[in-house]
Amino acid sequence: MLDRESTFADPEIVNLLKTRFVPVAIDQANQRRQQDTEGDFYRKIAGQGPRSDFNGTTQGFYIATAAGKLLLYNNNRDPAKVRRLMHEKLAEFDASDAATARTSELSAAKVDARYNLDPPADGLVIRVQAKVLDGYEPTTNRWRAIFQSALSRDNLWVTASEHQALVRGEFPRSLQTRMARFHLVDNTRGEPPMWSEKEIRNIDMQIRDGQVTGTAHLETAQGKRGFEPSMLGVVEVDQGAVVRFDMVAKGDFWGAGPYTGGAPAGRFPLAISFTLADGSDLADRLPPQGSRGWLRGYLR
Amino acid sequence: MPSQRKPRLGRLPTNLTLTRLLAVSLLAFLAHASESARGGELTMAEFRELHQQLQVPADTPWRTIPWKTAMLDAQRTAAQQAKPIFIWAMDGHPLGCT
Repeated sequence: MLDRESTFADPEIVNLLKTRFVPVAIDQANQRRQQDTEGDFYRKIAGQGPRSDFNGTTQGFYIATAAGKLLLYNNNRDPAKVRRLMHEKLAEFDASDAATARTSELSAAKVDARYNLDPPADGLVIRVQAKVLDGYEPTTNRWRAIFQSALSRDNLWVTASEHQALVRGEFPRSLQTRMARFHLVDNTRGEPPMWSEKEIRNIDMQIRDGQVTGTAHLETAQGKRGFEPSMLGVVEVDQGAVVRFDMVAKGDFWGAGPYTGGAPAGRFPLAISFTLADGSDLADRLPPQGSRGWLRGYLR
Repeated sequence: MPSQRKPRLGRLPTNLTLTRLLAVSLLAFLAHASESARGGELTMAEFRELHQQLQVPADTPWRTIPWKTAMLDAQRTAAQQAKPIFIWAMDGHPLGCT
């Protein structure tokens, strides 16, 4: 979130990435673990830097050659610093053999299925975006201000049988539960805690004449974190397929998780939009955050 | 007179009843229409406004960058074009997740 609105909002950095680099964005929690060619290549690069213990996070910015030689590791997002380092490493690259030597292209000799997830066949991908609408204390802190205005992004995966239920005008229980557990969350300031099934006090969603309505009550056992949204939206079907799924969940949220600190005090309004993905956005192809490490658990 | 008054008196309550019935029907209709357009506290107008508000503009700078999402894809392109690879590696996917 912070990187998007700072480092990658800098026009010169954006231009350099478009013209002088091959930019790649990854969830390193996958690549540092996966036992395949993709993971091997990432670990070859990251292992040359300071975060070479792959039992822990290796997050940061890296610059490397196609042969896997690390030129830079940096975990500071300040645009001026990143810009300077990019220019320095470009000059270093241009002066090296890497700029002229022929490098072999790697093929995926091994593929670790645990980390190469595809959306369910004949299912749906629905974009999920959340925003805190009010409640923050005014701030002059640049980074805090980015969090306070942040719009998050995740994907909801819908199975083929759930898709067909939606076509029939039904909102299947499995989809309601998945939506509640993994997508009615405040992920606007970092990786959120998902809800356990026990924490779903209630969720009731219906489709009537193409209109989605519903309410939910999610709350931890101690009541320190919760969400009580109402849902309203529109589902359109054409030739046996859902062609529009627009929905908003809005309600009072309270509390935060270990990585989503800095939430407004008390109850605050959180809104979450759901939109059928059309594949035009790069993020449309990303697996849901809630599926990380256990797709079957996410889709059950 | 009574004969004149009677029907008049008789019509008055009838008119009032009809007016009340119409008012009650209108209120019931409005309540139903309002209820059908609401999802708890959300109205259709709020839904439309919020749904539009909660979309990322396509021209947001970071979205204009041609990010690869796999290291091998980046490696192959870097080898073909003799360019360095810039890796944005986060906890959770940086293009999504948060």
